[in-house]
Formats: sequence, structure tokens, C-alpha cells
Amino acid sequence: MISALAIRLGLRELRHEWQAALCFIAALVGVLAPLLILLALKNGVIGTMVDRLVEDPSNREIVAVGTASFDQAFFDQMAARSDVGFIMPNTRRINAQANALRNPVSRALERSVPLIPSAHGDPLIAGRAISPGEVWLSDGLAKKLDLAAGDQVEMLIRRTVSGNQETVRQRFTVLGVIGAANYAREALFLSLDDLLDVEQFRDDLAITPDTYAAPRTAPDRYASFRLYAADLSALGTLLGALEERGIEARARAENAALLLNFRDNLNLLYGFIAMIAVLGFWCAMAANLRGMVERQRVVFSLLRFVGLSRTSLAAIPVVQSVALVCVGVAVTLLLVLPGLFFINAVFRTRAGDAVAQLGVEDLVATLALGVITAGTAALWAMRATSQIDSVEVLRHA
Amino acid sequence: MAASIVHIRNLGIQLSQDFAVVVEKLDLRRGERLVLDAPSGAGKSTALGLISAGMEDSGLPGRVHQIGGQAIERGNRARRFAKPDVLGFVLQTNTLVPYLNTLENIRLPMQIAAQKVDPQWELHLLTVLGLDPLVDRLPTALSVGQRQRVSIARALLARPLVLLLDEPVASLDPGNVARVEGLLSELAQEAQSAVLLASHQAQSGVFALAKRARHRVYEHKGVTYSLFCDTEAAA
Repeated sequence: MISALAIRLGLRELRHEWQAALCFIAALVGVLAPLLILLALKNGVIGTMVDRLVEDPSNREIVAVGTASFDQAFFDQMAARSDVGFIMPNTRRINAQANALRNPVSRALERSVPLIPSAHGDPLIAGRAISPGEVWLSDGLAKKLDLAAGDQVEMLIRRTVSGNQETVRQRFTVLGVIGAANYAREALFLSLDDLLDVEQFRDDLAITPDTYAAPRTAPDRYASFRLYAADLSALGTLLGALEERGIEARARAENAALLLNFRDNLNLLYGFIAMIAVLGFWCAMAANLRGMVERQRVVFSLLRFVGLSRTSLAAIPVVQSVALVCVGVAVTLLLVLPGLFFINAVFRTRAGDAVAQLGVEDLVATLALGVITAGTAALWAMRATSQIDSVEVLRHA
Repeated sequence: MAASIVHIRNLGIQLSQDFAVVVEKLDLRRGERLVLDAPSGAGKSTALGLISAGMEDSGLPGRVHQIGGQAIERGNRARRFAKPDVLGFVLQTNTLVPYLNTLENIRLPMQIAAQKVDPQWELHLLTVLGLDPLVDRLPTALSVGQRQRVSIARALLARPLVLLLDEPVASLDPGNVARVEGLLSELAQEAQSAVLLASHQAQSGVFALAKRARHRVYEHKGVTYSLFCDTEAAA
């Protein structure tokens, strides 16, 4: 059993050999501080990029390519999949456009505005419900039309029949504005029913401007869909599932997979660098502790001669190793944490994200790794200490 | 007759192919003194090492090794170390723990053995040995003589039954030899410790009249045996 005396002796020797201990701590700080700064930068720069990638729902969008039609069963089956975050029918792209949008108060006008169907669960509008007569505006569009939540917006839909232009004007209530981070382009998000009215007006001459808003039955099949994977990692499997059904599709943000791959590779690279550094430090520490045992061989022998047990004797280098690493980690954190604060103050990003970040889990892992390194690095010294015999102090003369 | 504190028969070690040290017979009772007086290189320190159990013996036939009435078996030396109240040892080298001060060094064996220090005896030792103003000093701040006196205090603090002294004055200048030997003798007497002194300088001074162990050299099959026996050498 390790006695309190062994711990006291180990610490007293460190205090006595404070210069050697200081050199040792400096060596540890020299290894650990750059590693922690690298880790913080990796977390901050790459982590923020990946977080944004993950948080931006548009990166999870899968768009249909080519022509096809999809029945309700397709949508039901897809919605039941755990890797699907959101799915709803869409019209043909050619019909999904308003000829113009107008602010009825300021008369500000924007032509050729894309129309996007939306529904409860739409990740671009934070999952909020949208009913017929209600719309969401993208940030860019809202600014151009000078509209905000609660305002009215007028949509103009035109068609040409026998050389004559027919126009429908439809008013909607603006429910809200979608942030640029969620949708950077200009678009109007409206209910599927309202979008189908637009499509049917353009396709069916029997529908006149007067009967534009009359109730109609929903179609059996839809020309397209809006589909979002549950998360970025599900994009691949979801594309594969669509391909199996013979549906041609692609991920809108193909770079996402590349960035995730880059992050994984960077994690591997950092892990490799950290492993090499820790291994180097481990070797230095093991050699240092072993050297310390050799220098203090007669004293260890004396301690054995006056009755200290082999176990307690062998515990001395472990106590010293753990103490040195704990102090080294503490000094490193005292240097690194203000350093990270400084880096973040100097290199503040426009979005206010931290360039360098260290989580509590990183600090706990550092300390745990340090203690494990200290404990195992002391094994060689422990073995050497346990082999020191009391007879050595007798022969020392 | 009082029982022996040290009772030894045929305790020996072969140090090399052609040299062995053997304590043939040695019995010491409380308060007795015995000098191992032999030339340098005869194995006096080795004999003390064997007796203290700090050195593993070779297990000769007829081996008996008892300290303080307790038999010490071969092969489990980890348990054989005599407690400081049984055996005190003054090393020839005055080796101290460099990061402990004088008082901590003196108390170390008793602290390891979890034995209680008698504060009055401790104060007496410190005063008699002139160490009371030096209790906070580290060994590096002590002279050779002061370190030797710390070693003596360390060995005597628990009032051991037997005190083994390995050339305790060898490193001292001649002016201090008599003084330190006198202190050793006086304190050992106060502690009622049996004293076994290894020295080739004990022809004069307080140990000059002490009983001397017989030392003889015997050669057998190419091995030189350095033999110690508590029977006085024939005149």
C-alpha cells in the first residue's frame, strides 16, 4: 500500500529539486500548449464551419433532376423514413414563379420571383405551419419590397391566351421573414394549395381569373418534391434510396460531404500529431524519471534500509510524475486560456464566432491523458526503484 | 545469564569467486560492546550488513540469525528489517535524505515504523549531540561531523537493543574522533544498547578496552574466508 509518507517524500524531493522540476514542467508546457492551441483552432475554425454546415438546412436538401411524377404513396413512404427530415410535393419549376410581387403600400415591385411550397416542418421556416393566404419572404425579397411580418404582399400571375394577357392578383399576409443564413436567395414561401392554384391557372384555360381561387381537388400526382435529409450524414443513404427507386436526384450542397470528410481527415491528422507529441513527451518523461531514480539511487537505498517498503519506494516516482503533470497541465491552461481569449479578440469573425474554442470535455480529456501519461511513464522508474536494494547504501562507502 | 540480543552462527556471504565473509559465532547481550577490529577490506562492513539483514546471506550450514530474540529467515528480507527500537545502524557514509531537514532525517526510521518518538529522549539526543540549533537545516548545510552526529541521533532515537556502528568516525578529522566516540559511548550506555563496532581505529579512545572479536583468515579450495567470532583472540 502506498503510504502517505511516500507521497510526502516524493513531493518533498520535487520541492528540493525545484529547478529540475521546473525544467520538466516547462517541457510539458512546451508540448501541451501548442497542442491545445491547435485543438482550439481546429474546434473553432473547422468546428464553426461544420456547425454552420450542419445548422444550415439548405445543405440537407435533395433536389429532383429531370422529369418524373410522384404519387401520395411515395410521399408517405419517404416521410416514414428516419433519414428524411422533411418532404412535401412540389410543382414543375416552370410554374413555380410569380410574374411579380408588389408592396401594396409602397408600390415597390419585384419581378420573376420564385415560389416555393412550404408546410409544417419545413426546416427553412423553423418548422412553423403555413396556411393558404399566408407567406414567408426570404430576407432579400423582404428588404427589396420593404415588407415585414404582418404586412400584406400582392402576387401577380400572368398568362397569355390567344395573344391576350390575363392577370391574377392575389394578396397574402406575411407571416415572417426567413433569415439570410437559412435562405440566401429571393423567394416567396407559400402553401402547396396556393402554389397549385398558380400551376393550374397556367395549365388549365378553363380556370379564369374570376375562378382562380375556387376550391379544387388535389392532383393525384406531383411533378416534383422538396426533400431534406434528417442530417448531413443521411444524404448519401437517401440519395441511394432514391436511385433504387429510379429517381434521379442530387444533393444541393455537394461540398458538404467534402467538408465533413475534410473535418474527419483533420481530426485524424490532429490525433496523429497529438499522438506523436504525447509519445515524445512520454519517452522524455520516462527517461527523466528513470534518470532521477539513478541519481538518487543511494537515497532510495537508504530509504529501503531504514524500512520503507518496496511498494512505497516504487510509488515515489509515480507521485512525482503525476504531480509534475498536474502542475504542467495547470500552467499550460493558465497560459493557453488567456491566449485563446486574445486570439478570439484579435481574429473575431464577422458572425461573432470564436476562432479558437476549448470545451470542458477537451480540458478533462487533457488532464486524464496527462495523468495516464504520467502514470505509465513512471513504470520504468518504478521498476528500477523496486530493484534498488538496501545493501547499496552499505556498499556506497 | 541474560538472553542474547544478537545470536548468530555461521552467517556468511560469498562476495566473489575467491572471497567470503562469515560471522561464525556472535552473541551480544544488553549493554555489551564488541569491536570488529580487522584490516581494511576484511569484510567488517559486510559482517554488519549481514547482521543487520540489510544484506542477503548465502545460507551456510548451521546458520542462525536472531536479533532481539526474533529469528530472521533468508529470502524474505522485506519483512526482516529490524524495527528501529531493535536495531540502530550508523553508516560509514553518513548518508542522509537530502531533501529532509535534520529533525526529519532523525525521525525517519521511527516514522516509517510508525513508532512514537519520546520527546524528552529526542531533546536529550539533540542537545548532547549539539544538533538543537541545526534541526531545520538540510544535509547540504551541514558539515561532515554534523552529518555524522545526525546519523548517530537517527540510529539512537528509538533506544535500540543493539547499535551497529560501521566506522562511525572514519570520515572525521582526528580532533573530533574522540569527542564523537565519547558521545556514542555515552548515549549508547544511556539507551542501554548493545554496541557492535566495526573499526580499525579503536585501539585508543573509549572503545579501546571493549571486547574484540576474533578475526582470522582461512583458505579452502581457492576461497579466502574472512571469519569473525566473538571469542577473544588468543594472546
